Amino acid sequence: MTPEPLLPGVMLTVIQLGFGLAVAPLLQGVMKRFKARLQYRRGASIWQPYWDLAKWWAKTPVESETASPLTAAAPIIVLTATIVAVLLIPIVALRAPLDGHGDLLVVLGVLALARFVLALAALDSGSAFGGMGSSREVAIATLVEPGVLLSLAVVVAGAGTTDLGRIASHGVAAGSAALAPPLLLAAIAFGIVAIAETGHEPVDNPDTHLELTMIHEGMLLEASGRQLALLTYAAQLKLVVVAGLFAAVFLPMGAAADLTVAGVALGLGVAFVKLMAAALALGMLDAGMAKLRIMALPGLLGLSSLLALTALAAQLWLPA
Amino acid sequence: MVPAEVDALAGVSLVIAALLGAVGGLLAVSRVDHRPAMIAAAGASTATAIAGIALVAGPAVAVRAGSVLGYDLFDLRFDALSGLFLVALGAVGCAASIYGLGYHEAGRSRFETLAYIVFIASLGLVFGSTSAVSFLFAWELMSISSAVLVLGPRPGRPVVRAGYVYVAMTHLATAAIAIAFAAVSAASGSTAFADWHRASTSLAGPARDLVFLLLLVGFGTKAGMIPLHVWLPRAHPIAPAHVSALMSGVMIKAGIYGLIRFAIEALGGGPSWWGVLVLALGAVSAILGVLYALAEHDLKRLLAFHSVENIGIILLGVGVALLGLSAGAPTLVVLGVAAALFHTLNHALFKGLLFLGAGAVQEASGTRDLNRLGGLARAMPLTALAFGIGAAAISGLPPLNGFASEWLTFQGLLSTGGSVALDPITRFAGYLAVGALALTAALAVACFVKATGMTFLALPRTPGAQRAREVGRSMRAAMAGLALACVGVGLGAGPIGSVLAGVARGLGSGIAPVGSLQPTVAPPTLGAYDPAILGLAGACVGVAILAVSMAGAAAARRAPTWTCGILPDPAFEYTATSYSKPLRLFFDPILRPDRELHVELHEGTPFPRRVTYRSEVDHLIESRVYGPAHRASIGLSQLVRRLQQGTLQLYLAYSVVALVILLLLARR
Repeated sequence: MTPEPLLPGVMLTVIQLGFGLAVAPLLQGVMKRFKARLQYRRGASIWQPYWDLAKWWAKTPVESETASPLTAAAPIIVLTATIVAVLLIPIVALRAPLDGHGDLLVVLGVLALARFVLALAALDSGSAFGGMGSSREVAIATLVEPGVLLSLAVVVAGAGTTDLGRIASHGVAAGSAALAPPLLLAAIAFGIVAIAETGHEPVDNPDTHLELTMIHEGMLLEASGRQLALLTYAAQLKLVVVAGLFAAVFLPMGAAADLTVAGVALGLGVAFVKLMAAALALGMLDAGMAKLRIMALPGLLGLSSLLALTALAAQLWLPA
Repeated sequence: MVPAEVDALAGVSLVIAALLGAVGGLLAVSRVDHRPAMIAAAGASTATAIAGIALVAGPAVAVRAGSVLGYDLFDLRFDALSGLFLVALGAVGCAASIYGLGYHEAGRSRFETLAYIVFIASLGLVFGSTSAVSFLFAWELMSISSAVLVLGPRPGRPVVRAGYVYVAMTHLATAAIAIAFAAVSAASGSTAFADWHRASTSLAGPARDLVFLLLLVGFGTKAGMIPLHVWLPRAHPIAPAHVSALMSGVMIKAGIYGLIRFAIEALGGGPSWWGVLVLALGAVSAILGVLYALAEHDLKRLLAFHSVENIGIILLGVGVALLGLSAGAPTLVVLGVAAALFHTLNHALFKGLLFLGAGAVQEASGTRDLNRLGGLARAMPLTALAFGIGAAAISGLPPLNGFASEWLTFQGLLSTGGSVALDPITRFAGYLAVGALALTAALAVACFVKATGMTFLALPRTPGAQRAREVGRSMRAAMAGLALACVGVGLGAGPIGSVLAGVARGLGSGIAPVGSLQPTVAPPTLGAYDPAILGLAGACVGVAILAVSMAGAAAARRAPTWTCGILPDPAFEYTATSYSKPLRLFFDPILRPDRELHVELHEGTPFPRRVTYRSEVDHLIESRVYGPAHRASIGLSQLVRRLQQGTLQLYLAYSVVALVILLLLARR
């Protein structure tokens, strides 16, 4: 928590937030387009998510008659929590805009807040589909959370801190040593749960129109108008958060070490490439994999925790 | 009374609390109306909380009175550690008493009102007692008065059975504690706690381990630690809500207080297996507690199992501190104790709030069954909001208080894993506990989305839930106060964490290496959490989004929920049982759900006339440990009964044989 010069901090906030907010729908557009091409379809334009958001924004929302004020409040809370998460992650530079005010545990906490509010709001309309999506979302999260924390614990053990900025700097300083086997295992472990966290195949199908298989989309089924726009935008932004977290922890190379114009410009470019790579990888999974039965998920996601524990054991017992 | 050392604010507040408590007791006995006594209790609690705040940051206050046979029944010394528990007692006691003004189940009889006042007073005495006799006196007073409150004025058979389990387990706890106290007193030559750290040198080897295990059994039972938790889910559903709030919010914390006061402060820790054992018990309590809560659809039993879970989380902090003591790593001690104390305070606030909310729900709708509730948010907006805040807090979500203490616990566990002072196996245990705590936190989110959603959202599932109306002003005020406290403590977590780290550093001379009292130094964490700044940032972002989304927005149109073309019906909604189904299946090896589906058809048609569904989970510890133990003890009693033939001569013969054996033993 070093005292920070005010202007660069504010500039970094503006740049990173602007970047994240601008690029989030594009990631989804690219992902869907890539998936379509892999499936020999032409697919929609990569700008389609922007048009969708604009279309919903202009529409009058229809609220369920049984809805409480939570239905109106939830989209705002969910998007706010996701934006705070973006501000806590060093995406463009080796320090987050809110550096020193929250570590990686806080990022996970903020995402859990978004999930809690969304899962609760999904119950508000009394629709069975909302209940189904909500029930599955929180159940899958219980399998995801240990994997996320344990794989991040590998990195914390290596860097000796939970501060994301310092972890990223440590990773850059370590250079090729960052490819040590425990960290690779942890990266794989994090990657598995990241798929579930962002709602992609083989855990959830983001494009499904079959209510019985919906998880995340099931929770949004009763949302419309601006509420739907805000919730969808938050989901798109969550990919920036999760991929940004992965990059900050396992692949921090290229992020701006100090806040010079050239450094930040390069950092922006590198961050864009990393996020695109994540979007393409998820698009490939979406195109190539079928959704797993829900009862097969403990096996897949539990694997993540086991890999992370193996990495921790390797770090404790194997000589460095 | 002979005051020895007095801080003005703390001393005066404690005297006021004692006087108001006495007035409350008199009012409880003399008036049929319980409300004057409740107001006195609320005043006494407020004074207690103020005294607690003064004590946490200031010097200790000591009082001695009531000498019996050379022992003081009231041998009190309130220090910073006592102060923290007094803050929890004062806050929950004040809210529960105000709640009791309007709550129908409060003040069912004068005797019960008196027991309520005695219960609060005895808790204060437990946290302040500084010698064995005084402590055990207060401890028993606390156990007996709470048993009176659990049983109520005219208990039916099931209530008596549940109350019996509570009383039996409480006695087990007291017995274990008394034996441990006797051993430490003998080793140190004094019943005063101040002299007990001397025992840390004179008590050694197996005797010391045995004392620790006895303390763990005694205080663990009171705390509701698995496998000694069986009384908790039985006692809470039958106790009135304001008593449940105090029992779960404060009384079970007396167990945590005991562990910190005696295992950490007086004994000064022990070998590293003590810490690993506490970590393991904490992890098991946390995970099993929340899993059983998930399988539950009685709101108060659900909350009771969450008390088991949260005690588990607190024990993780205690375990970290014990490991720190075993390895001589002061940072771990400070982190562990601060995390345990912080979660103790937070759990008191949000669990008190949730139990009061559950009482309000029951009062308004006549049921605690989640599958029969629903839609209460419209009729009871304030209760819904307060319960929702409590639910978010207990789920460990920022910016509320539960997140702050879980964050600190994570910091302690990650520091344990990274501590070079410990051996690799112990460090690995620390990482396993990280995974356990992460799983617990995610399961708690699932459980409280269920509890909140099924109670307050969607359509009411029964006419009772349909008729529900918002509860009275005093009950709402109590819930609102605790909800604000959850938010306030959450946002003020930074300075509060520093104060608690100071309390940990100031813990007695048993842990001299920890350092002197420095109340303003933050706990030695691996990262930062600054809820005030993050809350501000979040508020700015939220207001901006709100402003943008309000600008030029058309008012929402209301329409029925889409149910594929038929009119919405509460029967379409997910129930508490269906909501937790995926988790029951995921954790099938632990929960062993047993379901029974029974369909009666209309004669000669495939259409069901009546469908009954029953789903239960197997409580492994009860069926595998307590069941056989219960049967074995009955069998043993049958055997012993054969000795009882009813003839005087035989009994005299027993006495002679016993005497001869004793004489033979004594001659050696």
